[in-house]
Amino acid sequence: MTVLDQTHSRRRFLQLTGAVGATAALGGVLQACNVIGGGGAATTGTFNWMTWSDHYIQSQLDKIAKDTNINTSISELAGNAEGYAKLKEVKGQLDSISGDAMWVPNAYAKDGLIEPFDINELKVSTQLYSFAREFPYWQSSDGYMAYPFGWSPIMIYYDPAKVTGNPTDWQVLLDPKYKGRVVVENQPEEIVAYMARAAGFDKPYDLTDDQLTTVKGYLEKLKPNVLKFAQQATDSVAAMVSGEAWLITGNLGNEDRVKDGGGPEIKGYVPSEGTVGWHDGEMIVKEGANKALIKPFLEQSQQAELIAENFLANGRPLFNEKAYKILTDQGKQDQADRYLYSKAPEVLPTMVLKGPGTSTDKSIQLFNEVFGAG
Amino acid sequence: MAKAVDPLETMPVSRYAGLTRWGLRLIFAFLVLFLYLPIVFMVAFSFDASQTPSFPIQGPTLHWYDVMIHNRQLLSAVANTITVSLIVSVLATIIGTMAAFVLVRGRLRYPNGIRIAFTMPIMVPGVLVGISLLIFFSRAFHANLSLMTVIAGQLVVTVPFVVLIVASRLQSFDRKLEWAAADLGASPRRTLRHVVLPLIAPAILAGALICITLSIDEFVITWFTVGNQPTLPTYIYTKVKFGVTPEVNAVATVMLVATLLIFGIASVVLGRGRRRLPGRRRGAAPTA
Amino acid sequence: MTAEVVTGVEPAPVTVASRGRSARLRELAPFLPAALLLGILFFVPLGVMFIFSLWTTNANLDIVPVWNLDNYAQFFQTGAYVRTLAKTVVMGGAVTTICLVFSLAVAYFLARYVSRRWARLALLVIIVPFWSSYLLRVYSWQAILGEKGALNQVLMSLGLIKEPSLLFVYNDIGTFIVLTYVYLPFAILVLYASLERFDYTQLTAAQDLGASPSRAFRYILLPQIRPGLITAAIFVFIPILGEFLTPSMVGGASGLLIANLIQTFFKNALVPQGAALGLLIVAFVTVLLIVFRKYLRVEDVYARG
Repeated sequence: MTVLDQTHSRRRFLQLTGAVGATAALGGVLQACNVIGGGGAATTGTFNWMTWSDHYIQSQLDKIAKDTNINTSISELAGNAEGYAKLKEVKGQLDSISGDAMWVPNAYAKDGLIEPFDINELKVSTQLYSFAREFPYWQSSDGYMAYPFGWSPIMIYYDPAKVTGNPTDWQVLLDPKYKGRVVVENQPEEIVAYMARAAGFDKPYDLTDDQLTTVKGYLEKLKPNVLKFAQQATDSVAAMVSGEAWLITGNLGNEDRVKDGGGPEIKGYVPSEGTVGWHDGEMIVKEGANKALIKPFLEQSQQAELIAENFLANGRPLFNEKAYKILTDQGKQDQADRYLYSKAPEVLPTMVLKGPGTSTDKSIQLFNEVFGAG
Repeated sequence: MAKAVDPLETMPVSRYAGLTRWGLRLIFAFLVLFLYLPIVFMVAFSFDASQTPSFPIQGPTLHWYDVMIHNRQLLSAVANTITVSLIVSVLATIIGTMAAFVLVRGRLRYPNGIRIAFTMPIMVPGVLVGISLLIFFSRAFHANLSLMTVIAGQLVVTVPFVVLIVASRLQSFDRKLEWAAADLGASPRRTLRHVVLPLIAPAILAGALICITLSIDEFVITWFTVGNQPTLPTYIYTKVKFGVTPEVNAVATVMLVATLLIFGIASVVLGRGRRRLPGRRRGAAPTA
Repeated sequence: MTAEVVTGVEPAPVTVASRGRSARLRELAPFLPAALLLGILFFVPLGVMFIFSLWTTNANLDIVPVWNLDNYAQFFQTGAYVRTLAKTVVMGGAVTTICLVFSLAVAYFLARYVSRRWARLALLVIIVPFWSSYLLRVYSWQAILGEKGALNQVLMSLGLIKEPSLLFVYNDIGTFIVLTYVYLPFAILVLYASLERFDYTQLTAAQDLGASPSRAFRYILLPQIRPGLITAAIFVFIPILGEFLTPSMVGGASGLLIANLIQTFFKNALVPQGAALGLLIVAFVTVLLIVFRKYLRVEDVYARG
């Protein structure tokens, strides 16, 4: 059958060549687009930004692009560890990346991936609460590591019609009465951290072996109560709306989201043992080819009017003090206060900030051990 | 039913034939119901005012379609997904079919070993393939992440499916038909075109369809190899912090309707074209 | 069955008298793109991953070249991993079985009783629901199977149950239903490709000769489509070992499968640990394939006469 196969292969080769050619052409086009977008002088052009979807509003970016010729090319970010792992590989393909609290110094800065800058050089930074310009762990000899953006503690929400006794702590999640009624995020290291907080440990990301043994007991009690792991933040909200869940964990603002979804009036609280939380910011990537655009961009994108609009769209507190005044002027102070907008100095100290810890590996092993098949 | 039946009585067709046929029809109907039930809900949620694709229903609206039309990122994610899946399925089908021919007929030294090697990309958890590709692309090739790297990554997991499916078809393939064609004087090219390809066409079609399906939904490998042009699954994944809203249902509904329309029109047009070529497609085909 | 090595090549009437090396190369040429693709983009990176799996991560989440076997030892020392793998294999086996039975019936129906044009259209109708979004489809299943879901509402309005049942979702049943849903179309496509060209007069002939329908089915049809059945089984069973989204969305807190446990490491940038777990799964499946290679053997059913 050699002859047959030979002819056959030649045909196939021709077809393949065609297809490869087409792909290459497509690649060329894509490349051209990049070049057209990516070139340009230092103050105009396109920069690559890896960020969460709540850090920008497309219409705002469009306006900035029109006014200043600074265009944004966005890669979406999901989690800190994932973003960090990706930046370590692609480096200069990104110019700016967003990250949470302790990830900034303990991962990005430690690895020399980012470039600290003098935050006071930015005029817009005067609109920030002053404490946000002075997080000690974001300071280095070369400057400030990130431009602060938003924050939230992790809260517990419950449906008072189903959950009695006005709970105030983490222990309620372990109550056998609520078997199959708890929904937590699909984030193993956070679930371990919640239980570490419940056990009263101050460093839920840096647990000792003894502490891990204690936390294991908590996780085993939590397991039967967990109905499911929420893939997205809205999963928890939806479970509360439908009544399948009575207790959920999550960011600020879920009582509004549940109500908007047609669900019951729910209550939320910061657990009395203390909680974990995040505050994030924008970093400048050291090797970024277009990093010169970041500061001029921040001057535009961090303006109070835009931040106020962002608050109304995404519902969690931000660090821009002037935006709070704008919200007050607009008659939205109630809403801002419910989201603890101006309460950062009181609430931030109750939170252990998210970051890569020394016990991440063991925490994950522990989670797998407990939540694997029994 | 314990009584022995005289074989002659069952001729020419089994008395259960009619029953079997009706049973199979019922199973097919059940299948379509099973496959489309979630789709019905997916479509329904796109017309529902609720913020999340779930119960309770809050009332009819076209709001999400309006949101969808104005969401450039979502639309470009859909366009990227379609581009990638078309290129991946064409390339994977060609590369895979070629390899399958050699695998089955090429007198390779370790056919079983090679077969297992081709099964491996399916075996290895996608996340491992994805992260190893990310490291490899950036460290070995210094490649910029783009749709090209996404396509390359998806080819790794789609080609094996085509190889295995076409190879399995080629194995249970009566080569005497080919030899007969050659004996009757058909050139290899003609044999290939009129005997071999039509016989393995269903496998190639199945392979291509599986590739499109895998590509459209491929998330893990894409996640690691994608640059600033998201595909639909990575777009949805990155909404994790605040959740997807039903505009995604809207766009999925539009995709579904468009696909069904294209296939509907194509089958009508192709059906007409085919009828003008009488006698070409009889062969061993069963009649309805 | 003799023990000879089957290469799938039979003497053909048209032969080239002497094959030079170049002829052999040309014969193998179509294999090259696939070999290069997998070689460069799969096996080399996988080799790198294997090396990583023998290293470790420091507190900074950097992969550091400290050679050790801890990542592998972890699997065997923690009962949960072995148990979860066993559970995943059982789940995969169950889903594969139901997919094969169901899709054999459907493919047989389409191949034998439906004209080829309509059958191919039916295949498209079967596959098109899958051209949208996996996540959205699983959300829809949540809405169908959930406590306040459609299924419960229907059952309650029919008076079959009084309280909404929690049986359908956030447990292994939910995972089973949704995985079956996800993989069924693949099995149907593969089996249809096997059955389409089957010569059904063989079945009639067998029955003419006195075979019962089930005997004819078992001894005439099944052996001839065996490669298709094996391929379908591989297409369903093996990807299920890598499934993490469905179990985490509808399996509940006790429904995690082995890929979920692998995923947790990668989500936290713990590459060596995750790589070791992943590679153990690969080793496990490879051993399975080698043990059962007798049943997977490539052979030309017609060539045996």
